Amino acid sequence: MSRRTQNKSHIRAMLLALLAVPALLVLCAALQVRIDAETRLLDPDKGELLLRSGWLLKKLSLGYEPLVADIYWTRVVQYYGRRARKPGATYESLWPLLDITTTLDPRLLIAYRFGAVFLSERPPVGPGRADLAVDLVKRGIAENPDEWRLYQDLGFLYSIHLKDYQKGAAAYLEGSKNPNAQVWMKVMAARVAETGNSLETSRMIWTEIYATTKDELIRRRAKQHIQSLDAALGLQRLNESSEDYWRKFGRFPTSMQELRDARLVAGTLQDPAGYPYVMGPNGVPQLDPQSTIVLDLDQGPDKLR
Amino acid sequence: MSVLPGVVAINTFREAVRDRVLYNLIFFALMMIGAAILVGQISIGIERMVIINLGLSAISIFGIIMAIFIGVGLVYKEMEKRTLYSLLSKPIRRWEFLVGKFGGLLLTLVVNTSLMTLGLAAALYCVTREFERSDATILVAVYFILLELAVVTALALFFSCFTSPMLSTLYTLGIYIAGVFAPGILGISQFTPNRAVAAVTRLVYYVLPNFHDFGVIAAAAHGDALPLALIWHNTLYAALYVVLILVAASAVFSGRNLK
Repeated sequence: MSRRTQNKSHIRAMLLALLAVPALLVLCAALQVRIDAETRLLDPDKGELLLRSGWLLKKLSLGYEPLVADIYWTRVVQYYGRRARKPGATYESLWPLLDITTTLDPRLLIAYRFGAVFLSERPPVGPGRADLAVDLVKRGIAENPDEWRLYQDLGFLYSIHLKDYQKGAAAYLEGSKNPNAQVWMKVMAARVAETGNSLETSRMIWTEIYATTKDELIRRRAKQHIQSLDAALGLQRLNESSEDYWRKFGRFPTSMQELRDARLVAGTLQDPAGYPYVMGPNGVPQLDPQSTIVLDLDQGPDKLR
Repeated sequence: MSVLPGVVAINTFREAVRDRVLYNLIFFALMMIGAAILVGQISIGIERMVIINLGLSAISIFGIIMAIFIGVGLVYKEMEKRTLYSLLSKPIRRWEFLVGKFGGLLLTLVVNTSLMTLGLAAALYCVTREFERSDATILVAVYFILLELAVVTALALFFSCFTSPMLSTLYTLGIYIAGVFAPGILGISQFTPNRAVAAVTRLVYYVLPNFHDFGVIAAAAHGDALPLALIWHNTLYAALYVVLILVAASAVFSGRNLK
């Protein structure tokens, strides 16, 4: 083949490639969108975890355990992120994934700390398995006894989710003995021991988490809890005013205006989302139906009366 | 269309057989016999699943190794041995040569995979003493493995056109691994708050060959039926991707100065 003919054929091939390759890529991408839709219909959990033994995976990792642990941790985050707040979502693989991650790298603190939060959140935000979260954090403490923050997490789990204030206070106290621990760990121990079952204590714990975490997901959840607790505290105060009204007039107020007229509250009280509180039946103050605030199930209106 | 690519393909297949490539079947057979004997001793209730998982994984791994290691040498070896010069002096176009090489290796892989599938079926029968209707998904899984191997072969051939076998192996393996983790790449785009990162990862997801969707070993082990649309779309996807890579390989190879 002469050089000229070869050049010609090369130019032709290049032109064809320049036209065909992008066009085929677009076709492939369009097809990929269809395939994604089809594979979503297949049960995603089946392929989620073929190997459930952390020990076996550790052996198979051939010395690259930390890297495999990092990969598994990203899978945990994606697994949880895909399900959180999805109606009817289940979290069967969350614990095995965390178990594998922490077996592969027992010093991966983030997996214990955030994993405990993921596990303990109530449905639909999480599986509501505070018992497994406690196991996970205890395992983290056994592997990393110098990490006082794990004691903070343990205290948090006992106080907020399991309502075991004695164990919660003990965890905070144990963590406070670490020379690197923050001073407020002692305060927290005393506060939980004294008034564990109070909205103020819950708010204090969540505020500490909000102030110290660097993860956006946890921060967002902590903020939601703080706002929820602020709303509950606002409702609690209004409820006290409503009872004062009953003592003064022998009946419950039917509107906020009546409370204001009786000078039991001042101005328009709003929840953290900016919606004014409203008076419900029997003088029980409520959130505006349009409010975006969701009261915590375990710290909500049932505690107000 | 010219018959020349077919001639090149047959010769490539013969060369692979001469190079004792199919000897890997002996290892596969021994492994499946060993698994069939041992599986009853070590697993309770999941013997069938273990045999299917092990067999399909082995078919996939052996195939990938063959596709990469033979594929990266397809063009390079011909240049090294200077047999390419005498071949291209004949009335054969360069793209025909590439298509022939691709077809030859694919034929080798099809033969190899088919024989391994027979071995898997024999081991499965030894363990369970029956075939179930749901076992048809195993054949779909094998077919998907072949589609995957076709794309990997095309990739290896593409790199073989302009770089050394060592680098071709690394590039092909790298793309393969990235393609297997494609959903993870898309996951980054869904969770990152940074729009630029999200856009780039989304683009990478659609440009990379998605090998993850060919992996239906878990579905085959559980006996789940696969939608016909998925089989058809995966076939089309693999065919388009192979054409895309071969067009790009032809463009690169046509510009190579072989003097």
